[in-house]
Amino acid sequence: MRNTAWQKQVLIVHPDLRILSSYQSLLSGNNFSVVVARDIPTTLLAITQHHCDLAIISSSIAEAGDGWTVAAVIKMAFPRSFIAVLAPGQDVLTLQAAINHGVQEIYDSEDSPDEVVKAILSSSTRNEAAADQTRVSHLQ
Amino acid sequence: MGKAYILLADDEPNVLLTLKLVLESDGYEVVTADSAATAIALMNQPRRFDAILTDLNMEKEDIGLDVAREAAKLLPRPAIFIITGFASIENARAALKIQVEHFATKPIDLNDLMLTLNRLLHGRPSVGIQEGLIT
Repeated sequence: MRNTAWQKQVLIVHPDLRILSSYQSLLSGNNFSVVVARDIPTTLLAITQHHCDLAIISSSIAEAGDGWTVAAVIKMAFPRSFIAVLAPGQDVLTLQAAINHGVQEIYDSEDSPDEVVKAILSSSTRNEAAADQTRVSHLQ
Repeated sequence: MGKAYILLADDEPNVLLTLKLVLESDGYEVVTADSAATAIALMNQPRRFDAILTDLNMEKEDIGLDVAREAAKLLPRPAIFIITGFASIENARAALKIQVEHFATKPIDLNDLMLTLNRLLHGRPSVGIQEGLIT
């Protein structure tokens, strides 16, 4: 049996089963414990049952734009989590939605899961390092 | 009982005065700055700010991002709000990178701004709201 005590936990929310499966496979291979949800009720249940270090959420789950609210709920439940949203394009309104819903990064829905996972792993590591550096500099 | 302290930076006197009055009427203690340089200088004084609201275009275009960057270095980190009439992909992306809490475009929806401010500060320790000052 796999020891998951030290693994980071990721929640992936996307209505497309093939995309969910791709992310699940890629992130499991990067030593994440993966929880997936295709709809909002399952997502809410997952939030009550699992910790979340990283979330990858489609901006549109059942309806256009409902993923932003899901992102905000996950951020409220897990304030230190890294939240990435997959959205069609990056215009000002999308960027504004990301900021105002507590999202750390947005990626184009058309990007391949492989590219997105690489970028997220790099970005979340940078964020952690920056947070650590800030803490250290304030202790000095 | 403590109050929540807010630093408000905008080079338009009318905006500065209006927002100050609105925030004070909701129970906040507000310090104003009419430039990014003044705002950054105020941040480096001992007073702790619970939230920093800044315009983007003051002495120069997008200089409010410098205010936000300086604010993001403070510990405890204040909630950072950017308010702008000139949102662009570039400044919005920079704001996302700084991880500001709120990005509002002018004309400001005051109701939305106050709701967000109250929600963000409500969860913060040692802020007056927690002691029942702001309801």
